[in-house]
Amino acid sequence: MPEIEFKGQKYIVDEDGFLQEPEKWSPELAEHMAKIYEGIDKLTDEHWKVINFLRDYFKKYGIAPPIRILCKTTGFSLQKIYELFPSGPANGACKVAGLPKPTGCV
Amino acid sequence: MNRKVVRITDLSKPSDEPLVRIAQEDLMPVPHLEEEPELNPNIEKYKENYDVTLDGYLAIGVPKEVEEKALVERFLNGLRKLFSKNDNWTFLQPLALYTDYCAKCRTCVDACPIYISSGRKNIYEPPFRAEILRRLYRKYLTSSGKTFGSFVTGEVELNANLIRRLAELSYRCTICRRCAQICPMGVDNGLITHELRKLFSQELGIHPKELHDKGTVQQLKVGSSTGMNPDAFKGLVSFMEEDIKDRIGLDVKMPLDEKGVDYLVIHNAGEFLSWPENPEAFAVIFERAGVSWTLSSEQVGYDAVNYGVWYNDLQLTKLINRTFEIANKLDVKEIIIGECGHATKAYYVVAERIVPSDKKIPVKSCLQIFDEIINSGKLDLDPSRNDFPITLHDPCNMVRLSGIVEPQRRILRKCTKDFREMNPNKEMNYCCGGGSGFAIMPSYNFNEWKMKVSGRMKVKQILSAFSDVLDRDVVKYVCAPCSNCKGQIRDLIRYYDLWKKYKITYGGLAELIVNAMPDIPGFLEFEFH
Repeated sequence: MPEIEFKGQKYIVDEDGFLQEPEKWSPELAEHMAKIYEGIDKLTDEHWKVINFLRDYFKKYGIAPPIRILCKTTGFSLQKIYELFPSGPANGACKVAGLPKPTGCV
Repeated sequence: MNRKVVRITDLSKPSDEPLVRIAQEDLMPVPHLEEEPELNPNIEKYKENYDVTLDGYLAIGVPKEVEEKALVERFLNGLRKLFSKNDNWTFLQPLALYTDYCAKCRTCVDACPIYISSGRKNIYEPPFRAEILRRLYRKYLTSSGKTFGSFVTGEVELNANLIRRLAELSYRCTICRRCAQICPMGVDNGLITHELRKLFSQELGIHPKELHDKGTVQQLKVGSSTGMNPDAFKGLVSFMEEDIKDRIGLDVKMPLDEKGVDYLVIHNAGEFLSWPENPEAFAVIFERAGVSWTLSSEQVGYDAVNYGVWYNDLQLTKLINRTFEIANKLDVKEIIIGECGHATKAYYVVAERIVPSDKKIPVKSCLQIFDEIINSGKLDLDPSRNDFPITLHDPCNMVRLSGIVEPQRRILRKCTKDFREMNPNKEMNYCCGGGSGFAIMPSYNFNEWKMKVSGRMKVKQILSAFSDVLDRDVVKYVCAPCSNCKGQIRDLIRYYDLWKKYKITYGGLAELIVNAMPDIPGFLEFEFH
């Protein structure tokens, strides 16, 4: 499995960059992942609104929320989510939020 | 054009380089696709750890370092089981027939969209893969092969190189069975792909993680291949009920765990997450038609997915048995499979051979039920509500395999105004390119192969179906009544930028029916997602 390095620590990720040890996620690591994977210089409040909701939903249900719930709860359109996370809700936002890669026919 | 011919014996030879490389100039030309992303399989990234020497792509990602002797022994053991009645009672008969009956006429070769799209790379020919299995079978399991050797079997050498490459090669076929449809002898090379995958999974533990660890294993443990547990599912049902209200202002219930009703409806759970409008539309249609139905909130009961059908009979059977247990407990009259092709195969076709007769409950596809409902005149439908150009994708498992051909067409004629067939269509239609699990296998560099090679023919068909309206500023809708196909078509539209270029979008069938109901506000939203 590939690894990424941040502040002297190594983090295992899958071949698409999804964190394999979710307990190691931290807001600082999210900033770093946003930089290397999404080319985002600094996460804004809008980014955090998405990330926090994804993490809360995941804690409660063990999966990422449907895109429609994400949009309704944050008030952001799908297009806006793509503007915030260029790789999209799954490959961008979920990855930065430390969620596992979505599975199944999604 | 690169027309290098690979021989079966080449697959056993050591090499650091792929036996075949896909080049852009080799690929089948697609009209109306002036620009497309450049090929970049990024082989260097993977070649250190994985065997990339088939075609430079990785679906499974078979590790390079393996203990050869044990691998060969296990493979041979699996091969023996494939041809033994005790171990393979479900599929031995067709497998044995197809192993014997190929006349090598090559009619099937030109029927394969992967072979054609790739620029006729011979390793993708349907009988190439089958011939490897045939030679191995004759060499190791028949007395003539053991006595007379390659003179009767054809050359083949079983070693780690062959096994690793053959494992990947068993994931270069979508099991669309178009080759079987056209074969004058009735040989089904798709079944041979399936048997090879089974051997690799059940005997060698070699399978894509999306199908196994994250697929059937997760589904049996948690309840769904999406990782959705019953609580998450119930939460989503509440959300969908609210969402229906937001869309059309009606209170529509999605009943849970109701006993003794007519239909247990099982959707592919991916619908709830990626396309909730589809199960929502089912609820509206059933409510309008006065149907008594229920969803199940038991683990597995809310996910029709059965990836076992693509690679592993043991997992397939566990899921089928679990589903029938739930349906029996609920005491429903029929099981209705949602818009999902491979689940239709698993429950409408394969389950018939597996479920004991005292546990059997009739299974139907939702397409048949919608057709019955609409024919009965219970729904008021106005086709002019769907006045945009619509084409229909025929999911291979529903149409070619299950013979469900006309219901979806009758439905579309009653609820849309500008329905145009793809060409070819019905039982000769082309796979979306995401069949047999490919749509949910994005790992390594496989996505590129799916977009460029296996999905190429579908892009060509879609663009051709809309060729007279491409320039018009109207939404064009690809109706794909299958979750897996829908995911692949979404990815193709995104990859080739067809929404921005041509306003081509996609969706299911149930949504179109609800959108045609004249007394409720429009149900469809044309935001590409």
